[in-house]
Amino acid sequence: MIEVSHLTKKYGRNLAVDDLSFTVEDGQVYGLLGPNGAGKSTIMNILTGYLSATGGEVMVEGHPLPEEADKAKACIGYLPEQPPLYPEMTVEEYLSFAAELKKVPKAERAEQVKKAARRTGLEKVLPRLIRSLSKGYRQRVGIAQALLGSPKIIILDEPTVGLDPAQVIEIRRLIRELGRSHTVILSSHILSEVQAVCQRILILSEGHLAAAGTLEELTAGGKTLEEVFLELTGGTPEEETGEGEDE
Amino acid sequence: MRAIFKRELRSYFHGMIGYVLTAFLVAASGLYFMALNLGYGMTDFSYYTLYRTIFILLLYVPVLTMRSLAEERRSRTDQLLLTSPVSVGGIVLGKFFAMCVLFALPCLVDLGMIFILWALGGTMTALISNLAGLLCYYLMGCAAIAIGEFLSGLTENQIIAAVMGFAVLLVAYMMPSLRSLFNAGSAVALAVFTVLAGAASLGAGLRTRSFILGCLSFSACCIGLCALFLLRSSWLTEAFSGVLSALCLFTPFEDFVNGSFSIPVLVYYLTVTVLFLFFTAQDMERRRWN
Repeated sequence: MIEVSHLTKKYGRNLAVDDLSFTVEDGQVYGLLGPNGAGKSTIMNILTGYLSATGGEVMVEGHPLPEEADKAKACIGYLPEQPPLYPEMTVEEYLSFAAELKKVPKAERAEQVKKAARRTGLEKVLPRLIRSLSKGYRQRVGIAQALLGSPKIIILDEPTVGLDPAQVIEIRRLIRELGRSHTVILSSHILSEVQAVCQRILILSEGHLAAAGTLEELTAGGKTLEEVFLELTGGTPEEETGEGEDE
Repeated sequence: MRAIFKRELRSYFHGMIGYVLTAFLVAASGLYFMALNLGYGMTDFSYYTLYRTIFILLLYVPVLTMRSLAEERRSRTDQLLLTSPVSVGGIVLGKFFAMCVLFALPCLVDLGMIFILWALGGTMTALISNLAGLLCYYLMGCAAIAIGEFLSGLTENQIIAAVMGFAVLLVAYMMPSLRSLFNAGSAVALAVFTVLAGAASLGAGLRTRSFILGCLSFSACCIGLCALFLLRSSWLTEAFSGVLSALCLFTPFEDFVNGSFSIPVLVYYLTVTVLFLFFTAQDMERRRWN
């Protein structure tokens, strides 16, 4: 569970996140939806302890940030917007390094790496150099890294950006599957993606929370999610044709 | 920290860089060892080999340290490190120790050379003073590595980190000569300290975005400096030359070259190391707040 109250983040004089409060309950898939520059990545970077907030409180599984940052970080697996990969390592080396970094005991390391690779379909490429992998595979390595250490919460920042339609379908399937055993938060500016995989949706606009709820709650007035989104953000959603219909 | 240390050390040997750097330094010290120690039968390894290869460190250290933090930031892998349950201090130290181990490889070869001299008939005294010299040389290298790591943390660009590292070490290397330019007296010291106070106040003012604070701190510094200049001008000159001599990173090593064992010199190098590692961690921490 993550509790965020009155979160504020300023970059110089620029207000990126403005007095944001929300709660993330266990065992659900949350979608952070917002136009580019709405503060999605900033919020995720704060939740994972990469950035410090200017004001407000963040509690991850009862551990306040940044006071108990190490305990909070141990509860979260994070895939940033650009997967943090070392191209000169093989997938297996990289995953065992990430496991050690996340303080997985030595005896369980090999087992966890194998399990994460199996869940993300990486078994065949384990001995290959990350440098030689395609973008879709690199994204999967990034997700596999987030699964190590069995965190309760998994945070994915735009996990399907730049992938081809078949890869998008696969990653979405994987996220849905992860949602059964973890709390998942993912960010996106693609409406159909959020619609397809998320149980709860948080709509952000210029750093503050414009709306929150299930898809049914948000579209209760008979409008489509797209109409609600446009009304709240005043922007245009970047609907990418041809990759939305994966069902 | 151990995970970072191991990955970092391995990464130097994934490509050519670790081998090339080690070979470079070994070749340089081997050349002096062959020509002077063996060629002329000199047993003083510190003076004839180590002292003469210091300028090689000016190239070796920046190339060794340039990628340590800059590369992590450029490829965004720092997000992995900083979002795992590892402290910033652990990241800085893990990288630092990996570089120290890499620097230890050529030093081990130097150790072999020292024992060759001993086996060829060097005295026990010469052996011990050579070993002490090598210890000081190693600590000096580690201090330079800490400075290089700090500079690497300031930028995302490896080349800029390397050039900055080279420039800083070069100034430290030439400082003994540069110092003589500044021996004009307390007026020069006052001018230099005023410029430094101005720069520090400007930095403080920009950081806090408060014009008044910057002006206040600058005027306070100026008043203090002028008072010192009028009342105790010798203090200013002494402080100034003290600051300059602390910047001569490579000069204290000369104590060891002369065959004396000096604890203050070792303490000086350890202090520089700890100070710059602390600065590195502080800078990384600061970046997360801005």
